[in-house]
Amino acid sequence: MKLGLGKIKEALRSGTAKDTGEGKKEQIGGRRQADKEETQKIVNGGKDSGSLEEVKMKLKRTEQEPESGSLSPADRTKAEKTGLIFFPAFDWAISPTHPEREERLLYTRDQIFEEGLMDLPEIAEYKPRLADYKDIARVHFCVPDIKTQATTPHLIAAGSCLVLADALMKGEVKNAFALVRPPGHHAMTVAHGNRGFCNINNEAILVEYLRKKYGIRRIAIVDTDVHHGDGTQEIFYNDPDVLFISFHQDGRTLYPGSGFINELGGPKALGRTINIPLPPETPDEGILYVLDSLVLPILEDFRPELVLNSAGQDNHYTDPLANMRFSAQGYAKLNEKLAPNMAVLEGGYAIQSALPYVNTGIILAMAGLDYSCVREPDFKPGMFVQAARDRQILEEIVTAQLKNWKNRDKLVEAEVEKHGDFYRRKKQIFYDTDMIQEFQEETIRMCPNCHGYITIDSQAHRSIYDIRIFGVSIPIYACDSCQAEARKEYRKRLNHPEYEYVYLQDKKGDEYTAYNMKTKKEIVY
Amino acid sequence: MLIGIDVGGTTTDAVLIRNGEVCSSAKVATEPGNLLNSLLEALDTISRDIPLEQLERVVFSTTVITNLIAEGKSDRVALLLIPGPGINPASYTFPDSFYLKGAMDYRGREIQLLDAVEVRETVNLIREMGFSRAAVVSKFGQRNPSHELMIEEIFREIYPECKLELGHKVSGKLNFPRRVATAMLASATRDRYKEFIEKVIKALEERNIKAPVYILKADGGTLPIKKSIEFPVETIFSGPAASTIGALALTPKGETSVVVDIGGTTTDIALILSGKPLLASKGAKLGGFLTHIRAFAVRSIAVGGDSVVRVADSINGTNVISIGPERAGPAYCMGGDETTPTDALKVLGLIEVGNLERAREAIAATASRLGKSEIETASFIVDKTTQMITEAVNEMFLEWEQEPAYRIWEVLQEKKARPQNVVGIGGGARGLTEGIAEKLDAKPVIPEYSEVGNAIGAAVARPTLTLNLHIDTEQKIYSVAEEGEIVSLNVTAIGNFNKMGSSEAEALASELLRKRAESFGISEYSGEAEIVNSEVFNVVNGWYTVGRLFDVDMQIPAGLIPEWRRREKK
Repeated sequence: MKLGLGKIKEALRSGTAKDTGEGKKEQIGGRRQADKEETQKIVNGGKDSGSLEEVKMKLKRTEQEPESGSLSPADRTKAEKTGLIFFPAFDWAISPTHPEREERLLYTRDQIFEEGLMDLPEIAEYKPRLADYKDIARVHFCVPDIKTQATTPHLIAAGSCLVLADALMKGEVKNAFALVRPPGHHAMTVAHGNRGFCNINNEAILVEYLRKKYGIRRIAIVDTDVHHGDGTQEIFYNDPDVLFISFHQDGRTLYPGSGFINELGGPKALGRTINIPLPPETPDEGILYVLDSLVLPILEDFRPELVLNSAGQDNHYTDPLANMRFSAQGYAKLNEKLAPNMAVLEGGYAIQSALPYVNTGIILAMAGLDYSCVREPDFKPGMFVQAARDRQILEEIVTAQLKNWKNRDKLVEAEVEKHGDFYRRKKQIFYDTDMIQEFQEETIRMCPNCHGYITIDSQAHRSIYDIRIFGVSIPIYACDSCQAEARKEYRKRLNHPEYEYVYLQDKKGDEYTAYNMKTKKEIVY
Repeated sequence: MLIGIDVGGTTTDAVLIRNGEVCSSAKVATEPGNLLNSLLEALDTISRDIPLEQLERVVFSTTVITNLIAEGKSDRVALLLIPGPGINPASYTFPDSFYLKGAMDYRGREIQLLDAVEVRETVNLIREMGFSRAAVVSKFGQRNPSHELMIEEIFREIYPECKLELGHKVSGKLNFPRRVATAMLASATRDRYKEFIEKVIKALEERNIKAPVYILKADGGTLPIKKSIEFPVETIFSGPAASTIGALALTPKGETSVVVDIGGTTTDIALILSGKPLLASKGAKLGGFLTHIRAFAVRSIAVGGDSVVRVADSINGTNVISIGPERAGPAYCMGGDETTPTDALKVLGLIEVGNLERAREAIAATASRLGKSEIETASFIVDKTTQMITEAVNEMFLEWEQEPAYRIWEVLQEKKARPQNVVGIGGGARGLTEGIAEKLDAKPVIPEYSEVGNAIGAAVARPTLTLNLHIDTEQKIYSVAEEGEIVSLNVTAIGNFNKMGSSEAEALASELLRKRAESFGISEYSGEAEIVNSEVFNVVNGWYTVGRLFDVDMQIPAGLIPEWRRREKK
């Protein structure tokens, strides 16, 4: 195990800050086959070392089957274990004192290791792997390219979700928890930089992977982070097959300032986005009320093939970045009731007072074990009581959203009638971490036969320069004419010099390209 | 001259090494009821013709602890456990447990007080119940042992005769249930182990053996015999460890080898990766409990030279054979009643021992049911046996490759190794090793003296030592997991704790390791110490760094004593 540890660490530190993907260039051209051949090259040599040290890695494969067409999921009813990947990225931080730093899961490690959770027969621990660039391209238009936005730790966090997805779909585990960082739920389709500590969206990458590889169609994502899961919402906003439910601290009081009940989805997916803004200081009682009276009934009605928990832990009463009153017991109960097939860690920055206990609670709850003795040192039952006024607010939200849910098909019908062949909307997106202001125009083909393809014209304003890109996205279940029309749109844009990059995301054909206007080169992922 | 003796389940093997080479070997049958006799008989046989004053070193590996636990001859231990928040302690399966209030957190901060009244009541209760031993273990007791120490005080006051084991002294590693099990097993076996060791020491004195005597541990390291009384459970599974070190001694330096120790009933498989025996990523399992005991990664499968070969009717009409898992006495060609892989080897002319006529008789019986010729059948049996062992080897490699990774570099690191050698040790190795090597595309190695490779391993193993240092600069303390004391950083040479970096932490670890090696009487091996893992975390409060946490893990890894001369011939 002694292999110039310091040197490797050093190299990675300097590498991750800039980018680690330098060696991928020559490889990208051949990425069409990459699907079948999951071999990745990663460069982890320092920039100054002259010769780059290449580590060729045959990735762990729980998946040995040929990947032609989609696989059918195995019978999960006999699986008894909870799959777990604990990837604390102990050698990665946004910056030394940033909440998203090396130390974040250190005390969680201490707690879950001291508890001996990994020894439990109910837990199966898996080894992370790197996600393929293609897995990222299935979701994002990364500007200027994937290697800039998705550095090694991002690829590992996303890849961990995919390892667990495979374990789940093969029936090795009954459910799974990706206890990984960095997080992802603020990352949107277009990724110009880091926003809300996120570059790429782990849940979205997971969803597209499940759909492509296993032919899953209906998936529900319940975002239980204290911050609105605006990235995940944006990615699936026009997709009626993905139900996105987010409860979070009211956007008027917390980043990212969105997630209100009128954000219900695009014209053809109205009601498939359900937001539940919670008043600050909502305790366990309030969140569990929302779960019982709104989230669970909607899930039951939607009948998803899989339920994912975008599991932030910053609703905790000690979280330094938010103002909620949720406890470890509440989190455990939430996961027991929600019974997600997979949970993926998002935020949570009370790294000492909350995370060790919350994570222990979630793991035990998912494994079906007794979590009644998990509690924070200062927690006393009944220490937080729901204010009557807040209770009323919650009741009103529940009533309104249940109505929206019930009427969703009518809402869609009425909305679709209002638009012609295309639906357009303009958006402004702010990247808090990287200080980027993005202006977008999104156009959706109102296709009578499918969800319709989407184009995005995006201009990002940084302090000194602007960058404009154009992206075309074809849904996995698009009709042939939408696919053909969209591909035409892509080719047309290749002659528009105002765009520095033009992207094609053909999920139906599983083909992803990025065109660089300056070099006139097309990269195929 | 060096002597190595491995007291195994069926035989006790001994070797005498002179001038770095094996000079003679001996095998005696092990009397299960009297390991001491077996050990002494082997010792007397091997040392019969030599002047005892020329002995430089004697090393034993014994199954005494394993036997004590397997036979239920260990003592009852009351467990006083302070679980704090987390898993419901009701889910633990430890016997004789008493749960107490009180809790420490992951940084050793007291989060719930100990209830002295409750402790006193419990101590009185266990005395009334007739326990004479107790183990006191608190969750995160290694980060702050004060609750364990307070309970020790109360014992001294009201029940001083009770023998106590404190969790933080048993292991400083994270994992409370494993610490409980390790403390419990250590307490349960200590007195009887001590008795055994004292008898050994007395017998050696009677024979006027003055050379230093060591006991082999599960991690392939030696421990001075008297010191071993402090760490009884570390001497478990020293048999496989002895074989692995033996294989290390008998193969070229730095190579990657699979060690197959093929006995009558079972085959033990161990891996040597680039000259380093692979340790189990977590501790060994003993008596049904997972422990913190450091051990080589050894996989035992129920296939051996004497495994019963059966023919079973399969569904599609063709008959298939199965091998093992049970053994019904010796092979047919050695006077047994059933067909075994050994008979197949004999028929194929791959081994010398045994009666050929009987071997053919056994294989003929199997062949007739299988509808194949004798030679075909014998080849088939050998192939199937080697296949089962090969599969287990591949699984071990896969498991090693799949060990969880918590850091980016660990995920990126290529963890792929293929064996260069398959080293056959033990009675069944001859004949089977070649087939296994062929399947693994490696070179078969059956060293000279392979049948006593375990005893050679014992004779030439060097000491091992670990040291896990944890430093918390915010609290200005450090602790060594193996020693259990929480020490103020002020006693160290480090000037400004707030500015200290990894190099200072590593220097402190090296210094502490040097002292620890000295206290074990193995100073000459301090130079072999290496840093296994070194990490540092900034402790940030708000937006300010208020301290740092360092973890430095060091070890003197398993290896060979310099006196041993590796022979280049195979």
